[in-house]
Amino acid sequence: MTPTSLLSVRDLVVEFQTGEGIVRAVNNVSFDIPLGKTIGIVGESGSGKSVTSLAVMGLLQKPAARIPQGEIYFNGQDLLKYNEDQMRSIRGNQISMIFQEPMTSLNPVFKVGEQIAEALRIHKRLSAKEAWEKAIHLMNQVGIPNPSVSAHKYPHEMSGGQKQRVMIAMAISCEPQLLIADEPTTALDVTIQKQVLELLHKLQQEYKMSMMFITHDLGVIGDIADDVVVMYRSNVVEKNTSNNIFMGANHPYTKGLLACRPKLGANPRRLLTVSDFMTEEGQEKIVLPERIQIFDKEMVEDKSEKVLLEVQDLVTQFPIKGGFFGRTVDNFKAVDGVSFKLKKGKTLGLVGESGCGKTTLGRSILRLIEPAAGKIIFDGKDITNVNHEELRQLRKKMQIIFQDPYSSLNPRMTIADILTEPLKIHNEGGSNSQRIDMARELIEKVGLKSNQMNRYPHEFSGGQRQRICIARALMLRPEFVICDESVSALDVSIQAQVLNLLLDLQEEFGLTYIFISHDLSVVNFIADEVGVMYAGKIIEMDKASRIYKSAKEEYTRALLSAIPKGETKNSSGLMV
Amino acid sequence: MIKYIIRRLLYMIPVLLGVSLIIFVLFNVVSGDPTAVLLGKNATAKQMIDLREQLGLNKSLFAQYLDVVKSAFTFDFGYSWATKQEISKMILQGALPSLCLSAPAFIISTILSLLISIFVAYYRGKGIDLFVRVFCIAGMSISALAYILFFQWFFAYKLGWFEISGFEASFPELISYIALPAIIWIVLSIGPDVRFFRTVILDEIYQDYVRTARSKGLSEIKILLQHVLRNALIPIITYVVIQIPSLILGALLLENFFSIPGLGGMTLNALNASDFPVMKAMAILSSVGYIIFGLISDILYTVADPRIKLK
Amino acid sequence: MNTNSLWKDAFFRLTKDKLAVASLVIVLAYFIIAILSSLGLIASGWSQEVGASNLAPSIDHFFGTDIFGRSVIMKVIRGTQVAMSVGVAASLIAIPIGVTLGALAGYFGGWVDDFVTWLYTTFSSVPNIMLLISITLILGKGIFSVYVALGLTSWVHLCRLIRGEVLKHREREYVQAAAAIGGGHLRKLFRHILPNVSHIIIINTSMQFQVAIKSEVILSYLGLGVQGEPSWGTMIDDAKLELVRGVWWQLAGATLAMFFILLALNILGDALRDALDPKLKGK
Repeated sequence: MTPTSLLSVRDLVVEFQTGEGIVRAVNNVSFDIPLGKTIGIVGESGSGKSVTSLAVMGLLQKPAARIPQGEIYFNGQDLLKYNEDQMRSIRGNQISMIFQEPMTSLNPVFKVGEQIAEALRIHKRLSAKEAWEKAIHLMNQVGIPNPSVSAHKYPHEMSGGQKQRVMIAMAISCEPQLLIADEPTTALDVTIQKQVLELLHKLQQEYKMSMMFITHDLGVIGDIADDVVVMYRSNVVEKNTSNNIFMGANHPYTKGLLACRPKLGANPRRLLTVSDFMTEEGQEKIVLPERIQIFDKEMVEDKSEKVLLEVQDLVTQFPIKGGFFGRTVDNFKAVDGVSFKLKKGKTLGLVGESGCGKTTLGRSILRLIEPAAGKIIFDGKDITNVNHEELRQLRKKMQIIFQDPYSSLNPRMTIADILTEPLKIHNEGGSNSQRIDMARELIEKVGLKSNQMNRYPHEFSGGQRQRICIARALMLRPEFVICDESVSALDVSIQAQVLNLLLDLQEEFGLTYIFISHDLSVVNFIADEVGVMYAGKIIEMDKASRIYKSAKEEYTRALLSAIPKGETKNSSGLMV
Repeated sequence: MIKYIIRRLLYMIPVLLGVSLIIFVLFNVVSGDPTAVLLGKNATAKQMIDLREQLGLNKSLFAQYLDVVKSAFTFDFGYSWATKQEISKMILQGALPSLCLSAPAFIISTILSLLISIFVAYYRGKGIDLFVRVFCIAGMSISALAYILFFQWFFAYKLGWFEISGFEASFPELISYIALPAIIWIVLSIGPDVRFFRTVILDEIYQDYVRTARSKGLSEIKILLQHVLRNALIPIITYVVIQIPSLILGALLLENFFSIPGLGGMTLNALNASDFPVMKAMAILSSVGYIIFGLISDILYTVADPRIKLK
Repeated sequence: MNTNSLWKDAFFRLTKDKLAVASLVIVLAYFIIAILSSLGLIASGWSQEVGASNLAPSIDHFFGTDIFGRSVIMKVIRGTQVAMSVGVAASLIAIPIGVTLGALAGYFGGWVDDFVTWLYTTFSSVPNIMLLISITLILGKGIFSVYVALGLTSWVHLCRLIRGEVLKHREREYVQAAAAIGGGHLRKLFRHILPNVSHIIIINTSMQFQVAIKSEVILSYLGLGVQGEPSWGTMIDDAKLELVRGVWWQLAGATLAMFFILLALNILGDALRDALDPKLKGK
């Protein structure tokens, strides 16, 4: 242990007792957090990063989890030797924590002011009145407007960003020496994420706290952390300074993680993935030079002139119920007059923050939700009002891939059933065994093995399930596919693979895409044209290669500047 | 809030009409002609016609239905076939003995169950938790009739600690009549109550906000009593309030066994005598009670849970 | 090739729970006894005198004899047949009504939902015991009335559960995906949604079965149930007068028979919920 480190984790092992036996979630992990510094812990889902933080807090669920080995020194004392009472006097007082889900992490039936005051009353022995006043002061400090009024609010009366600010106020109330932030911005929109990161950074400076910042997103790390610990499959694979990570990471996994995230601007033709840097066994690989070759979409000749889809002044609204008998008193226009044209074989990216209407727009185009006004012209034919049977026929040509790979496959059907169902509905593909053959062919195309056809969805990982969803959408050989946040729920390394797959399939089948996402850099990578949505309208639309350089709208620029750059202030300076 | 209450009040109308319809269909349509039963085999045709007129059975079916609906609002249920008394008076007389038994038993069993379930939730997964759970399930698997029979025989007959049956409306005497049925009521309710309360409390214990409370350094007991219980109380209140109307109906079987002259006993007597008006009256009365307390529990729910916004 | 459907997984989880397996065995044993008895293979001579009046339990007569010298254990077996038949009949009436109405209401919403919601609110507004005794009284005493009465009261809870669950699943993306590939209402409802809510039916039936058995006993005790045949309820009714004379074995026989089936159903219900309800997975 170095004398200046506040927290020092030594050879930590955490194991879970599960139905299938003992699983080691954290394996021989060691790292230090120096006084007043921020350490970023980066890893994908299941890497053991959150378990590590819970171990530090002493919050692991006891009979199931156990720590057979290791030490966690805090101010020179081994926390693992503390009893529950000693731990309690540390928690919320000297070490405090912010969680990922601000929606569920606050108690729904208490006022937020009370929840902030609570820790002060336990640890600092403040009276109710003093604690309440301190709470209001803290809310002011974390940037909640009108704190003396807001303190009386219940959590559901606040937005996600404000709730996370309340969580932060709660965590810093006793001026802790160490703040653990577990994916504090993952559930937030990108513009809110930026504000929260800035706030955390500011508070850390003011309070001279140390911070343990846990995230799956290396991009965020550059904005906030001094040093980085990279975790992969329960192990620490790299410890380095932030600068070094971005300038030249050592471990191939870190390199892969950095490379697989699409950059705003130029990218290779297909994204690099972790497997370009590392073999399955963890051996370093030499990256093939053609894989890093920058690809300029502008250079591809625009052969297609045929417009496949045209949307004119589309409006979709939801009734607002009110009055005595729940009559419709007003309509909320989720999509409010949207128009665009999409050429065959091209990709339109729709980007916007939660609630902007992008998902409703996608479903309205497919008429999964009925639009209220406007026109949808597909392949030269107005489909806005076609009847049920014609619409059924149209489903063969237009398909959708959803966001959540867990809920978009029927858990009671085998993969073979799921894939052949579209053919059955439309009475296509000949006999059942011919249909299965078609499914088998496609399942290999999306990168799965055809001998897995009799399995059920829950036996696959998130990325594999999304591949199954893609295969299902392509079974009827559609011309047009809407991808609705189709990679948002995936880890970045999986996300890159799926994006590459979508591009491969587009090339092979001549597909036209609408790609909906909250993530501008993903949209920028995959789309030819990008539309920015705000409050039901497309406020700006331009070529993908131009919009990030010369956005005209204030909102687009705000979105762009909020994207984590994936670099530190120093490293970007040095690169110039 | 006011609007919500009014809307819920208005929704009571179709439900009351529906309840009246069920009761009407059962007693006025499916049941057939009761006069033959009432007058016995030797009745003349004239007697039967007169009686039908007297009972309002010669009216059109729709008019008979309206009578049922009217009684649901006016509580004017007519006269008993068996005792010839005015039913609303019988109900008023029976309500007091029923409440004397049910109210204290209900209050004690609810509080006791709540205390046990908090205790068990604190020691969840430990031996005592398992023991109480097994005890609840085993207790619930024994017939209510067996409890009543055994307790009455053992504590009242064999040991003579309590009166075997009967009722006295004046104070200390009351206790020796009420205590045993009340104890049986409590024994019968604790199983299902503890099971429900425990499940509700444990559902809350695994929520994210509890982890937040732990990360603030709160003790387990504080987390349970302040954070968890406050949330768990929302479904618990609903569960408890919705049972209140059944207190008026009393405990059918308990009153029967212990000869308590309450509404439950009255209902069973009416059942044995095929006294349709009294049966109808009790069905309507208990349904109205249920609907009203359903409304109250809904309103309490919205008061207890700040997340529910009323327009 | 190793395939694991969720049903198989659930069954596997269930078989790992020894208590649940024991409960399942008990429930099956009760069913077998009931079937054998209804076929006249066992306890067919329940109405014959096998010994003196009110004999205490002995090696010859496990549960003794009743006042007419009939074997109590045979009466218990006949009672088992009655109780199990009531459970089955009530389920056979309640499941089709509850599932159909609940599924239609949850899936189509609108006026269908308004109507079904009104219907079950109305039915659940009449206290169960009032509805039960009224229906059996009106339809005439006897086992058939008990079937109908229990069927008509126990669909309500199932309907409410199914409606809520269908409502939730209707919005799930896999149902949207079925719509996107051109699946109609029937396919969405029957091929996709219902298989995913069907575990509710199983869990609920194990609960409703207990309610049916308990209700049958009470109705029979009140003289509304089975006529001219022994039932656990009528045996307890007999015991009411016998107990003061020290004749406890009719009560014990009926109570024990009831205790084991209720206990088994209770434990099985909990185990089924744990094994089948994906919500609770990972807890």
